[in-house]
Amino acid sequence: MIAVLSVELRKLNRSLAALLAVAAPALIGLIAFFSLLRAQHPMPWEKWLQMSAGIWAFFMLPMSVTALTALVAQMEHAPRAWDHLRALPVARWKLYAAKAICVVVLVAVMTLLNQLITWAAISAATALKPAVAPTGAVDASKALLLNGKIVAAALLMIAIQLWMALRFASFVPALALGIGGTFFSVVATSAKQGVFFPWQMPVNMLARDAWRIETALALGGGLGLIALIAAILHLSRREVL
Amino acid sequence: MSAAIETRGLSRRFGARLAVEDLSMTVPERAVYGFLGRNGAGKTTTLKMILGLIRPNAGAVRVNGIDVARDRIGAARQVGALLEAHGFYGNLTGRENLGLTATLLGLRKAEIDRVLEVVEMSADADRKVGGYSLGMRQRLGLARAMLGAPPILVLDEPTNGLDPDGIADMRRFLRSLSERTGATVLLSSHLLGEIEQTATHVGVVNDGRLVLEGELARLKADLAPELIVRTGDDTRALSLLLAHGRSPVAAEAGLTVALRPGEDPDQAAAAITRQLVESGASVFAIGPRERSLEDIYRRVAGFRSSLAEAA
Repeated sequence: MIAVLSVELRKLNRSLAALLAVAAPALIGLIAFFSLLRAQHPMPWEKWLQMSAGIWAFFMLPMSVTALTALVAQMEHAPRAWDHLRALPVARWKLYAAKAICVVVLVAVMTLLNQLITWAAISAATALKPAVAPTGAVDASKALLLNGKIVAAALLMIAIQLWMALRFASFVPALALGIGGTFFSVVATSAKQGVFFPWQMPVNMLARDAWRIETALALGGGLGLIALIAAILHLSRREVL
Repeated sequence: MSAAIETRGLSRRFGARLAVEDLSMTVPERAVYGFLGRNGAGKTTTLKMILGLIRPNAGAVRVNGIDVARDRIGAARQVGALLEAHGFYGNLTGRENLGLTATLLGLRKAEIDRVLEVVEMSADADRKVGGYSLGMRQRLGLARAMLGAPPILVLDEPTNGLDPDGIADMRRFLRSLSERTGATVLLSSHLLGEIEQTATHVGVVNDGRLVLEGELARLKADLAPELIVRTGDDTRALSLLLAHGRSPVAAEAGLTVALRPGEDPDQAAAAITRQLVESGASVFAIGPRERSLEDIYRRVAGFRSSLAEAA
């Protein structure tokens, strides 16, 4: 399995997926940078990092997962690499499991990168405008816990998007689903039922109500893990014509 | 000679269309087996079933004695494949692409250098595959198929998209491959000339059915011998030969005359020459006609124009 995983990671070398993994969190960092320059009063570090996590979980994460899964799947669909991979003496479930693990790890790295870039952007902006320098200290463990929950709650969305992207050779169905999911998630932000909507589960990690956090985490993480395993089994058993 | 690949009663349906029907083929060990058929005849579907990529609706495939349905991974260890779609990652170099497969096969880096040398790609191995020509991709695909020196190579249309020089190189390479490595080669093609120049054995598939199979030299030998006659006036010679109870056919190189059963070719040539000369026709040349794969096709029912044209 380690060999299959290392192959999956090496495929990302100089790929668009790798570029996206840096570009998407960097955009939020850019927003944070200009937000501080426009700020009138200092804000605590916690607020800055929470704001960055909020934008990430609310919009950029669902969109990034949509694009990332489509790009990772197209790496195999476009050159029709499945035939070669599936003809090798390697258990097929391992090929799909490696891909799933790779995507989840990438999403986790992007989530972490989002916080790191935000920290760097805020620090850089502070140098230009020291009057609004963030107050207090960075609570790394708290930020890590929140972002860990966001990634865990995103598992169901990742499983759905990844299955869709790998199941269909065209990127259109996966893209349409991802854009649609994000759109409904954005327009129905305040809906109570949003907690049951996979694309809105990550942002619920920032909710005040404990039941929203718990429900979204249990559904997104628990069901997500089951969905990921089901997707791997389904994809490895079906024929690629 | 035992079988490297054996299929028995292989059938595969796609919806209402029967792509492969009751196909039983035997690829002997160390043979270069040319799997011939026009586009859509069922070649790729058969190869995909041999590789375990799609499941047959009926029948079985054995690769070096291993049942593909029961032990796909065991069977896959015996085979290196070059498929129609190369499946290379354009963002990676040739060497990196081979490295991925080598890692999955548990091979050392030295093996990558070896196969790159075999296909003469060492100099371009560190360029991105995205910038490769089709011929270079084809050679890299061949290198990938040879990683780990599998005893069987399955090559789907290996000369597709190659320029004339590339085709000639590939043919030379395939001809020598079995001798140098001892590998069995199963190659599919829709080109008669390609199979004729590379294969030791041939299997012809038409509408999903295997209509002919055997050793190429034996199949040619089994055909009734023919003479080719060049005369000063082919039209007159044609009617003269018809009058002498022969069945001549006008061809580009002259008249072809099939011999009667049991007739000695030398005696027949002498008799025909005499008959023509005595009737006032001038004979420029007469001799046995080299039989080709196309002649074998002509004997196969329902298999005429398209392949011959493709050749």
